[in-house]
Amino acid sequence: MRTKAPVMLGLAFALMALQGCMHIQSVEPWQKGNLAKPEMTFDDDPLERGFKEHIYSSKEASAGGSGVGGGGCGCN
Amino acid sequence: MVQVWAEVAVAVTKHAPQLPELGAALLSAAMALPCVMGNAHAESAPEKGVFSFKYLNYKERQQIGADANTGNAATYSKSGASAFDDRIRVKASASSIMVPINAEWSMSGTLITDSISGASPAYHTEALTGMKDFRRAVDTSLTHYLPNGTITLGMSHSGENDYISRGVSLIATRATEDKNTTWTAGVGINRDEINPANRIVFNETKRGTDLILGVTQVVSMNDIVQFNLGYFNGHGYFSDPYKIYDERPRDRSHQTLQARWNHHFSELSGTSRLAYRYYTDNWGIRSHTFDAEWVQSFGNGWSVAPALRYYTQTAAKFYVEADPSLSPFPPNPPANAQYFSEDQRVSAFGGLTMGMKLTKQLNLDTKVDVKLEQYGQKGAWTMLGSGSKGLAPFYARSLQVGITHSF
Repeated sequence: MRTKAPVMLGLAFALMALQGCMHIQSVEPWQKGNLAKPEMTFDDDPLERGFKEHIYSSKEASAGGSGVGGGGCGCN
Repeated sequence: MVQVWAEVAVAVTKHAPQLPELGAALLSAAMALPCVMGNAHAESAPEKGVFSFKYLNYKERQQIGADANTGNAATYSKSGASAFDDRIRVKASASSIMVPINAEWSMSGTLITDSISGASPAYHTEALTGMKDFRRAVDTSLTHYLPNGTITLGMSHSGENDYISRGVSLIATRATEDKNTTWTAGVGINRDEINPANRIVFNETKRGTDLILGVTQVVSMNDIVQFNLGYFNGHGYFSDPYKIYDERPRDRSHQTLQARWNHHFSELSGTSRLAYRYYTDNWGIRSHTFDAEWVQSFGNGWSVAPALRYYTQTAAKFYVEADPSLSPFPPNPPANAQYFSEDQRVSAFGGLTMGMKLTKQLNLDTKVDVKLEQYGQKGAWTMLGSGSKGLAPFYARSLQVGITHSF
């Protein structure tokens, strides 16, 4: 199982590099009005995210996804 | 300052139990990613500080000792004859502050307190044991804004009677000149100390290393996507000291792949937020998580956001199935089994959450919100094979009330 990790990370690197080199039509700064809305960002309510991660990681077996760090707990 | 970061990085990798080379390699790779070079515009610290407060009230219920197949309450019930027994109840509050120091630096801190009371089953969904706990967690971070990205150093501490967790993290982001692509790489190290009240173990520890690699891409005026890869490797005491027959492997590693997509519908003044996460670990657990949310804006600063979440997981390979015919006794683990657990959390199940959030922007700087959520978890709701049998369905509801103020 452990050998899977480097393979997966390598694959992801390749994918991301490819994606980074692809030509995506550039969105200019003056076209970003909608993108600036809080609901268009991925972390508009960090405290809600904190509660959510804390609850789900103590009721389900999975954890992680979009961040690192944060305190662990002995939640039973 | 570069030297300080270098020392931190060295300190971090010194404490990494398993993957120092990979962590260092990832970080250096992130710093020198292909195709994102160029003279970027300077990133700078936010002009305003932000203060946020949020209160959480969370309550679970479950038919403890119920026959999951018939739904009839069994004779054993700690709180008497009620059809549902209350389980854990959590009242938590979180306060957070972010302050820009100057154009190049900002710092932030979050204080979280939880008070937990109620009861947790000792095995499967049987035999409630009472508990009470208080947790206090502090997260602090310092962010440096560079010409083409940011570096954030974070420290965390969480303390309970029986559990202390300490962590340090380092996250770097790098944006392209047009700011349409942002790369993220992060590493986090945690060290936990476990001293359960029942003294079943003493001075146990758990160490873990988290890695994350992500990219956020603006696709159009109304679309933004993000991909994240996560890796965790930990060693130490992963068992639950308060459960009967719970002996888990001392090594745990998991990998996650997450994709998120936000799309704004101008004509509807609405935004769809979709997310998917795949999870796999060395305990034999795989899971899928789907999140969907619709944020509808109205005039006068009001917005409403209904949300749905579906989660499904397979059981750990050492999970021992429930056997209601033995009730009130727990089934014995298989003979000669090295690892075993009768914890519902490592069984096979599906979970469904429905939520609704109401937000009101009071003025340019102040926003208040309230969110209600209802969660259900059942073996039969799994999407991955047949779910674990003999477990009582589990329900929870939560209420969050928050305020955010910029200054």
